[in-house]
Amino acid sequence: MKYALLIYGDETAWADFSEEEKAKLRADVMPRWNALFDELGKADPNVGGKELDHGGTGRVVRVVDGERVVTDGPFAETKEVLGGAFFVELPDLDEAIRLAALIPSAETGSIEIRPIAG
Amino acid sequence: MALIYTDGERWSALSDVERQGIYNRYRALAEDAQKAGVMAGGDELGPTRDATTVRVREQETLVTDGPYAELKEALGGYFLFECESTDEALDWAARIPAAEHGAVEVRPVYVDPAEVQL
Repeated sequence: MKYALLIYGDETAWADFSEEEKAKLRADVMPRWNALFDELGKADPNVGGKELDHGGTGRVVRVVDGERVVTDGPFAETKEVLGGAFFVELPDLDEAIRLAALIPSAETGSIEIRPIAG
Repeated sequence: MALIYTDGERWSALSDVERQGIYNRYRALAEDAQKAGVMAGGDELGPTRDATTVRVREQETLVTDGPYAELKEALGGYFLFECESTDEALDWAARIPAAEHGAVEVRPVYVDPAEVQL
């Protein structure tokens, strides 16, 4: 079964850091991300993943009566917003839960696991 | 990345013929994007009732059934379009059938400046 591991985090905390602080935090947590990439790669050599730019860069498109309406994002007005995702082929949900718990963002945000259809 | 938000209940209420018609439109869009050289991926996610959410707090893994947030319109899938500009991405996103009844959020994929090879 292929799963999407959707990473939700609180961006407001992150936005308060300076570029230097962000760079330091990224460097500190990088070894853990690299360990995670290794684990994901072992589980599925074809694992995919994307990190999204922050929610403020989003634009929301709707087509109402044939007319295009564009508003500022993010779409969901939740405290934690989607910041990225992994797409990985795994034997079962237990393995998905194990890997989700290794994502550093699981400690401050939430990881939603969804099976991928088809 | 074009994030597709739809009302799962509305989808369940459709007839097979209606659903087939919508799938055909998605397929046509994917083919057009492929021909235009902008198609870089996409997936349909399983329903939110099959979602599992994982959080780690104080080194303990907490697992709950259900999506991260109960929204009327939930993330149902995505397209990855490789575009020159946000406007171009919005043009493609507006063609996603869900834009007519749900919403499509277009968000740039984050590229770490340090990882960009010049």
